[in-house]
Amino acid sequence: MDGIHDLGGKEGFGKVDVNEPEEAFHAEWEARMLGIVRSMTRPDDWSLDWFRHCREMMDPSDYLTRPYYDQWMQTYSSMMVNSGVASVEEIATGRSKTAPDPAADPINAQDVAKSMNVVGTYDRPYEKAPAYAIGDRVRTARHGHKGHTRLPAYARDCIGTIHCYRGAHILPDTSSAKSEELAQPLYTVVFEAKELWGEDSPDGDRIYIDLWESYLEKP
Amino acid sequence: MTEHNSEKIAHIHEDLHSHLPSEPALRVKALESLLIEKKMVDPAAIDAWVEAYSEEIGPKRGAQLIARAWTDPAFRELLLTDAPKAVAEFGFEGWATGHTVVLENTATTHNLVVCTLCSCYPITLLGVPPNWYKTAAYRSRAVREPRSVLAEFGVTLSPDIEVRVWDSTSEMRYMVMPERPAGTESWSADQLAAIVTRNAMIGTQRDLPLAVKEPA
Repeated sequence: MDGIHDLGGKEGFGKVDVNEPEEAFHAEWEARMLGIVRSMTRPDDWSLDWFRHCREMMDPSDYLTRPYYDQWMQTYSSMMVNSGVASVEEIATGRSKTAPDPAADPINAQDVAKSMNVVGTYDRPYEKAPAYAIGDRVRTARHGHKGHTRLPAYARDCIGTIHCYRGAHILPDTSSAKSEELAQPLYTVVFEAKELWGEDSPDGDRIYIDLWESYLEKP
Repeated sequence: MTEHNSEKIAHIHEDLHSHLPSEPALRVKALESLLIEKKMVDPAAIDAWVEAYSEEIGPKRGAQLIARAWTDPAFRELLLTDAPKAVAEFGFEGWATGHTVVLENTATTHNLVVCTLCSCYPITLLGVPPNWYKTAAYRSRAVREPRSVLAEFGVTLSPDIEVRVWDSTSEMRYMVMPERPAGTESWSADQLAAIVTRNAMIGTQRDLPLAVKEPA
């Protein structure tokens, strides 16, 4: 979707706060929110891409102005309401209107130590050969679509070169839209800065973007 | 089963915006209370994650990988060609480390990592990302004017150094290996790890100063 989240190349956002203190969290509630996300029981069909899409669906002014973990709070809340796990009223008051599930068994502190080292992987078996080889020139899609996608707007309808093949990874466009995984070849594609931003860009500067096969075509 | 309906989510966002408490701290507190009442979360598990991200899971991990690579050519080769295996040697596996890629800075190239679409970051090796990494300013500008972003961080690159910006649009997780500073030839891996900064592994720092950490 052409949402506010697709920020690459947008202008007018000012300087980066390079003097931010280095500690992990700047407020206790930020740490609690990350802890909640890592610990909470959730429906099996919440994918990472569904989460990202739900965050993208926030009001654009909220997306640009609300603190990062506050956006997580509202995004997970929206997912809970959507999946029937809680109501807006329950989330607003912090009080449950129903008894807990008798089978409820959330992860405990000992489980955290174990799950900390679990490696999530997103590549999947794929029968066919990838369509492109290293060094091939490719053109990116000219148009996006209304759903979640990972081709940034700034790199649409541009010519790049296949830098490497990363294996077949879960396609975000489908895993954000239904409860199933579709594996598709993933490439890192390299673009000259001049191709993306014009002739004033320095010679030799390049941008590397991970792109799925269906975002690409032969030029 | 979850209904994946964008319009419905947008409507729920509006509803939440109007009804949730006014302060982020109060909103998160209400959510935690609700999840505890519903037995969907154990507060001791939240404590354990907070402690892990405050102490154990931080940039010291990435720094140890880099320092080992500087002092052990075989490990350097492994880190640059099969980073997940190198990560496993240190027992640093975790969220998204299965697709780690390490990018080597050289005398003629400088790497910089960004996620323009959200906030993808090698959290298990560098800890929670700094807030600036997730801001519109960094995300919008890092791909378009990386040299002026770097200048704000105090990094001035001569025109003969090529900039390579990596936009983390997939689950691949990118981490930069800075150049080993001259004058550290006799240093141990532990001494070297102490000078590798988080920003150097994101790419917003290039030269690592030695002044603070002279070997004993």
